[in-house]
Amino acid sequence: MTSGAMHGVRTPALHRTFGPIRPRPRWLELRLLGLVALALAAGSVSLGATVTRRFGLYDAEGLLIYLGALFAAHAGQVLAGRRTDQILLPTVAMLGGISLLLMQRLPQDLVTQTFFGTTLDLAQVQLVWLLCALTVATTLGIVVRSDRWLRRYKYTWAAVGVGLLLLTFVFGTEVNGQRLTLQLGPLSGQPTELLKVILVVFLAGYLSENRALLVEQDTRIGPIRLPPLPYLAPMVAMWAIALGIVVIQRDLGAALLFFGVFLALLYVATGRVSLVIIGFVLFLLGSAVMAVLFDHIRTRIDIWIDPFADPLGSGFQVVQALHAFARGGLLGVGLGAGLPEIAGRPPIPEVHTDFPLAALGEELGILGVVAILGLYLVVVERGLRIGAAAADDFRALLAVGLALVIGVQAFIIAAGNLKVLPLTGVTLPFISYGGSSLLANAVVVGLLLALSDKGVEPPPPPRVGSRWRRVGRPRAD
Amino acid sequence: MDGFLLVLWAVRLLFLGLIYLFLARVIRVLLRDLRAAAREPADRPGRLIVLESPGGEPTAGQSFGLDVITSLGRDVNNAIVIDDPFASADHAVLTYRGRDWFVEDLASKNGSYVNGRRVDGVAPMGFGDELQIGQVRMRLERALR
Repeated sequence: MTSGAMHGVRTPALHRTFGPIRPRPRWLELRLLGLVALALAAGSVSLGATVTRRFGLYDAEGLLIYLGALFAAHAGQVLAGRRTDQILLPTVAMLGGISLLLMQRLPQDLVTQTFFGTTLDLAQVQLVWLLCALTVATTLGIVVRSDRWLRRYKYTWAAVGVGLLLLTFVFGTEVNGQRLTLQLGPLSGQPTELLKVILVVFLAGYLSENRALLVEQDTRIGPIRLPPLPYLAPMVAMWAIALGIVVIQRDLGAALLFFGVFLALLYVATGRVSLVIIGFVLFLLGSAVMAVLFDHIRTRIDIWIDPFADPLGSGFQVVQALHAFARGGLLGVGLGAGLPEIAGRPPIPEVHTDFPLAALGEELGILGVVAILGLYLVVVERGLRIGAAAADDFRALLAVGLALVIGVQAFIIAAGNLKVLPLTGVTLPFISYGGSSLLANAVVVGLLLALSDKGVEPPPPPRVGSRWRRVGRPRAD
Repeated sequence: MDGFLLVLWAVRLLFLGLIYLFLARVIRVLLRDLRAAAREPADRPGRLIVLESPGGEPTAGQSFGLDVITSLGRDVNNAIVIDDPFASADHAVLTYRGRDWFVEDLASKNGSYVNGRRVDGVAPMGFGDELQIGQVRMRLERALR
């Protein structure tokens, strides 16, 4: 009885969280997953035939484990019986499967990691991370029923984010001249990947609370009308953080990603183009000053303008990527047939993290690249739809922000590979090799799944501070 | 051209074709979803949900679809009648202008409160905000799709 009495107050909440659970079929998701399995099997046979001259699945074990995990994730969602989005999982599964095929195809000794005495190579490590990512996304999509823990503690989340950033500044190890990696015993990770999710949570909370105030116009500088100055402070802080990341971490990509998502969310929240233009001009000005002051940024821009000026030195990566795209042509040379290796190495350095799109562009051609970009567009469209159908501003901004994080990141690195933008070292979501990137994007997908549930509990009441108590009871008329 | 190469190219093209088939399937579903959303009447820019109402009129949990201009008060001629001893006859007006909601207090005796803050004249409201009139608490929400 004591335990019953103790939990007496909480029982209704638990009931709402866990039961009653009724399995609900998800035929659309199942059909799409079947198509994904077929496509990946065809890709695997194509890769196997090219490499071994025999028709059969290439590394059948890895592919079957991955497909099994996909259907297990599907079964889990069916059993949980939530009315969540049915398109996100198959789309992301297709991207992950393409990633698996690519990693199986690349030289396996690019990455080796030893866990508990077993040594895993590139494709196996990636497979393990893909399985972890699937688990994270599905679990979040099933378990998260309330957004209180995100909404309530937005400043705490922001503090965690800034803390992660500072930790990386201080204790980070430099890899390729960028201080991004945080070593924790045998594990290493890139906190900026997680930071992007935290940033969206904070911005969604801040903007939804102050949206009405940001729309008001009461500061005027000449012809420009701005929101009340105190509410511009976070914007200036964001700008400073973005430029700080550029200076100290030398991470151009993350800065571009954070600022891009910030401006997009600001536009979604206020509907004012002027704010976006001001922010963009500020960023350009800051970048111009940075380019004058710092060598590594100027180098990036020089490579972007003319990689052929130093094709064997600084421009090597970009030149090789452009050649890869050119070799691919319309249909590509086929999985496994591209990238003739030079002395056992693929010609593009860091192909598995920074240039997967170039490798895919060579082997699948422009048709394959367009299809992959189309898959990212589908993810973004789902996010925007989930945002449009959301019950309140916080959820709408959260869904839109999460989807845009993936979209903007894919755009930045795809544009970098294709020499549309200066090359920056962000990962291609769901395709690049890397645990931090896969897990962070899995969190994004899981939250989007949870937000898409139509039967979810209504948003909690807005916070009432001390002002509420000051009001007191109204007097009789 | 030997047979092996022909079959190999067929498999390669099949892979690309299946990815496009997947995309086509997904896009068909997305279009159907968007069309369905467009067909639904979206003329209601929002709704007001009653959270707490000691007087019983309106009842707690009731949901009102809002027009562009919605008047609230104790008088029966209001769009939303609030039968509460602490509400004035013509208490407040909710208006939807551009893409934002505003609440205007019509010089009511006890005032209107947005998230516990007393409304002085006109105040902006966002989805998820709480409006208190008399003892009745209501929440502004997006219209159901």
